[in-house]
Amino acid sequence: MTGDLGALCSELHRQMTRRELIGRSAGGIGLAALAGLMPKPARADDAPIAARSGGLAELPHHVPRAKHVIYLFQNGGPTHVDLFDYKPQLQKLHGEPVPDDYVEGKRFSTMTGAPQGKLLLGPIEPFQQRGESGAWVSDFLPHTAEIADELCFVKSVHSEAINHAPAITFLLSGSEMPGRPTLGAWLSYGLGSETDSLPAFVVMTSVTKDTTCGQIFYDFYWGSGFLPSKYQGVKFRGGGQPVLYLEDPVGMSRSMRRELLDDITRLNQLKLEAFGDPEIATRIAQYEMAFRMQTSVPELTDFSDESAATLEMYGPDVTQPGTFAYNCLMARRLVERGVRSVQLMHAGWDQHGSVTTELYHQCRDTDQPSAALVRDLKLRGLLDDTLVIWGGEFGRTPFLQGTLDNRPKWGRDHHPYAFTVWMAGGGVRPGMTYGASDDLGMSVIENPVHVHDLQATILHLLGIDHERLTYRFQGRNFRLTDVHGKVVDDILA
Amino acid sequence: MREASPFHSIPMVLPIAVVFCAVISISIGSGNASGDEPIDFRRDIRPILTNKCFRCHGPDEATREGGLRLDLPEAALAPADSGESPVVPGDPEASELVRRILSEDEYDRMPPPETKHPLTDIEKERLVSWIREGAEFARHWSWEPIGRPSLPDVDQIDWPRNPVDWFVLQRLESNKMSPAEAADRYRLIRRITLDLTGLPPTLDGVDRFVADPSPDAYEQLVDRLLASPAFGQRMAWTWLDGARYADSNGYQGDGERTMWPWRDWVVQAFNQNLSYDQFTMWQLAGDLLPDSTFEQKLATGFLRNHMINGEGGRIADENRVEYVMDMTETAGTVWLGLTFNCCRCHDHKFDSLSQRDYYSLFAFFNQTPVDGSGGNPQTPPVLETPTRDQQEKRSELTELIRGLGEQVETDEQVLAKLLESPAERRSTDQLRELETFLGEPASGFARKVRQLREAKEQQAAINRQVPRVMVMADRDERRPTFVLKVGLYNQPEEEVSARVPESLPGVTRDAESPPNRLDLARWLIDEHQPLTARVTVNRLWQEFFGRGLVKTSEDFGIQGELPSHPELLDWLASELMESGWDIKHVCRLLVTSATYRQSSRVTEESYQSDPENRWLSRAPRYRLPSWMLRDQALAVSGLLVHRIGGPSVHPYQPSGVWEEATFGRKSYPEDTGERLYRRSLYTFWRRIIAPTNFFDTAARQVCVVSPSRTNTPLHALTTLNDVTYVEAGRVLAERVLLENSAKGIGAPAADMIDEAGQVDEVVVGNTEINTEINTEPTEAKPTAEILVTALFRRVLGRYPEEAEREILAASLRRLERQFQETPEEAERLLSVGDSSWNRELDPIRLAALAACANGLLNLDETLTKE
Repeated sequence: MTGDLGALCSELHRQMTRRELIGRSAGGIGLAALAGLMPKPARADDAPIAARSGGLAELPHHVPRAKHVIYLFQNGGPTHVDLFDYKPQLQKLHGEPVPDDYVEGKRFSTMTGAPQGKLLLGPIEPFQQRGESGAWVSDFLPHTAEIADELCFVKSVHSEAINHAPAITFLLSGSEMPGRPTLGAWLSYGLGSETDSLPAFVVMTSVTKDTTCGQIFYDFYWGSGFLPSKYQGVKFRGGGQPVLYLEDPVGMSRSMRRELLDDITRLNQLKLEAFGDPEIATRIAQYEMAFRMQTSVPELTDFSDESAATLEMYGPDVTQPGTFAYNCLMARRLVERGVRSVQLMHAGWDQHGSVTTELYHQCRDTDQPSAALVRDLKLRGLLDDTLVIWGGEFGRTPFLQGTLDNRPKWGRDHHPYAFTVWMAGGGVRPGMTYGASDDLGMSVIENPVHVHDLQATILHLLGIDHERLTYRFQGRNFRLTDVHGKVVDDILA
Repeated sequence: MREASPFHSIPMVLPIAVVFCAVISISIGSGNASGDEPIDFRRDIRPILTNKCFRCHGPDEATREGGLRLDLPEAALAPADSGESPVVPGDPEASELVRRILSEDEYDRMPPPETKHPLTDIEKERLVSWIREGAEFARHWSWEPIGRPSLPDVDQIDWPRNPVDWFVLQRLESNKMSPAEAADRYRLIRRITLDLTGLPPTLDGVDRFVADPSPDAYEQLVDRLLASPAFGQRMAWTWLDGARYADSNGYQGDGERTMWPWRDWVVQAFNQNLSYDQFTMWQLAGDLLPDSTFEQKLATGFLRNHMINGEGGRIADENRVEYVMDMTETAGTVWLGLTFNCCRCHDHKFDSLSQRDYYSLFAFFNQTPVDGSGGNPQTPPVLETPTRDQQEKRSELTELIRGLGEQVETDEQVLAKLLESPAERRSTDQLRELETFLGEPASGFARKVRQLREAKEQQAAINRQVPRVMVMADRDERRPTFVLKVGLYNQPEEEVSARVPESLPGVTRDAESPPNRLDLARWLIDEHQPLTARVTVNRLWQEFFGRGLVKTSEDFGIQGELPSHPELLDWLASELMESGWDIKHVCRLLVTSATYRQSSRVTEESYQSDPENRWLSRAPRYRLPSWMLRDQALAVSGLLVHRIGGPSVHPYQPSGVWEEATFGRKSYPEDTGERLYRRSLYTFWRRIIAPTNFFDTAARQVCVVSPSRTNTPLHALTTLNDVTYVEAGRVLAERVLLENSAKGIGAPAADMIDEAGQVDEVVVGNTEINTEINTEPTEAKPTAEILVTALFRRVLGRYPEEAEREILAASLRRLERQFQETPEEAERLLSVGDSSWNRELDPIRLAALAACANGLLNLDETLTKE
């Protein structure tokens, strides 16, 4: 090793590319065989899931509990005090001004400004204890309530940012500013891929119909930051082709494309022999993967092999591309086919003036599919090694935004100081409630879980020591948890 | 010590109790870990210190432990809080550092086990050797003044063509390597034309160059390319990446802006070879130059290219601070190659840059009158940049409005007179006059009023259309600047004034008024300031060799990479300054070097000894940027519209992409006709959803100066299936067919039918098709071989090898047979794209050749600069 440590990075990268190639060769796509390559069967049950390709040799750091992650990201900030974090005291003090000591030193969005004197707003719907675990879930979420015993509710998550984009970026990348790799990108980089016909990190977005919330899904929510861009999430689109440029041009049949690709491969093979550049071999492999994706992606989106019972479980929207229900079923199908990380993002949770109106639609659109996904994964034995996470970038204020006499316009503002996230499967203790906020749901008072702790825990479940999965950029070793984060051991199964 | 430290010392604080318990196991007296070679501080020691020690013992005062800092020699040699001296030159045994790194006690050992970054044995031995050899510190290389290294001695003296080569060859020879053979002329002309213009050479150009007997044929070619207007368009792309240029604000709303006149100025500046010192001054402070010109003001649009956040609920001052941070960091990266963003919140962990330095630099830009409120994509100060047409219309309208205004006013005076007396007292004559006046059409008063109104509306419409470029200005009243606690706009700490980083040579100026952006710009191009020239030539090197001599072109700080060829970098930097910051001169030097002209073939030997090609024993070979791939496809097909400048255009994009990203608020206004075929530089760049057929491009959200080059299946899908490439393939096929039938191609070549017949027997054995084709009229057609050769040459310039030609010819014959069976599919393929296909050509043959062309556009060599 020379003293020039920076060179190590690119050398590692290069080795990785080589290793990937070797991995592919072992998987049956030997370079010599490439010339005569025929399309592989695309169905997951016909073809064995390819051995892991890519990833860092030293990973996993320990035996992983989960192989896949499905993040059901609820953009906008779901109101913890209306959904999970039951506060009888809040009900009791409904309409009273918030006691000063609860909000002292806290910063709120400009919509609230100074929090002093704001009126407390009791939960909109009644709460009940559910299942054997007795977890509190409000009547807003009847389906989630039914699977409460599968879930681990973390009620003490807290964040630092008070606006959407920075808070979402913080949760997904560990920094409020865009430019860092996101969770899924880190996982692809560290753990590689377990499918050769689909990307390792897939993102899908949806929004509740008729919502007044106008949030944008920025591409840096699934970006690879300074990691090579092949690790960034591939966003499947809501309508039409889920992947751009997936279809062959009109007039060119599949077999014609196959043969043409064979010709390209032969020519590239000649070039490889004459020029010796290993990058040519990668190119050949990527064109093959592209061809496979042209089959695997349409097959992925063809729900005709799903039973009526399954479809019913996800609810009426499931066959409609672009809905959360559709995306939830897609998430299961992606995980089944070996995709490492699935990030669903559903916008519309930003109820500044609609906790008595739009919040119902929001829950209607997300409650049943979220619960169905957990059930479905369990039925198929996939929940054991799939970690499902449900949560947003922050919670909502226990106090009212709006006026007390105008119930239809009641709302709550952004609230990063305590909010709830639930997790299921993948090595998390089911039927558990962890951490607590104070009696008004304002601040964490027990077992705080900072965003970096949550990230550290997710990585831990995937067999990664969050302090050791680093990437050198601009002369510094960066990691998802910045320089913080500790694993929340108590919630591990 | 070799030299006095230029660093400013910071008082040591934070005493902390440490437990001592020493067990030294590695023999302190053991030999040098690096063999016979003496320890080199920069190469062997600093990386260990920065990676393993600086987190607690580096420049950042806030996280320093035990009062010990190892980045400054005087501090490392002085006793720390514990009273022990960390480093005693020549005496490892007396050095506390040695005792601690070798300690077996985990509470005593450094670095502490919980950091999870233990020292390796080699690192430990290196540190011990370094201290034994005298513990020499060295200042970070990029902080050193730029020298003018003399050309090194080399053995193979007939190889170098210019000074670049002497430095490269010296490194090759010292590594026991030798340069590659020169690239052949076909590959060379394609490489240099793509590099200097972003476009492939024309076929005529290739043939002329290959046949050119003059000894300086290549140099002449380079000069022609440097003089081509395409040069500026090519160079502008990378500058736009650094300048985070886009056509919209970013964030929610993502309002469209009109910064494109600034973009056109960049193209023009490169084409006119505006010297880089002027280029710098104009963009950073053109508005502050005495009697600044329109263009000098326009150039300052550089700083205003940052994103604008118009999200509801945003605090204006928070936005404003973010914009100024963006300007500060962009300038820091583009000119100084430093990662200032770390210093937003804390002193730099590795470089001698403090948080105070950051906010002192920030202060230069903090005089902007922009207050951060709202999301106006033309937030003042703006510069109006009307087109000539708009200018003419405007002055016409001004004239018209003046004339009409006078007339209306005269009429109104008459009218006022008539209205003076109360109505019932007016004479019948007066009333008649009034009647005529108000009635149509006699006096025309109403008409004139209407015309005036219309003219004013037209004027307003044109004013709305006139592009307004956001530019810089300083406000009259000085805004104080503070260090912001962890970068928060509302957490001001101590006040700072505008100044450059303390560890770099300062600004020389008369201290009458506080320094402003112009002083900063002048400092950036000051010959004593060691970074700008190095950073600039490094980026130029990166442009043509794919990667800088300093690979981390965004980071010349301590954690950045060391230059692979430090003397060459300095020689080039001094050459840039001595040439009067002449960019074309430096480009010419790089591309006329023997180094650049090598073959890019990767031999077993060169791969073994230098897998990364760090020592340049061959020319680099890498995939072209995606924007260049698009331009290349348009150019080889003949579709490319070469016109320079103007508003951005909307070429092909799959439908629904903008709608999905903006919840239906924005629909993509796809263009038709020639606006589909402009160079990629002119593609409208929506910040929240970048053009879909580019990949590995900077997102144009923040400053990016080093390229990303990946290889994914999504890229393959793009170049295989995007309309752009399918249509270009078809138009290219038409071109080839037309040229080859028009020319009659000399010899009465065996026609396609016979060719097909012969091959059919061997490959497919399908005589039925053979017979069918034989019934066609027997007009002379060029053979498949001739067609694919022509196609191949259009794309790559060179002739195909025999094996390549055969594969392609067989491919063409097969495709032709297939389309013969499904003629309707052939027509469908031909219908892709906005341009209509030439109906005089045989659709079957055209479709087959178009499909072949689609394949050729996806060949590794086509996608690659070879």
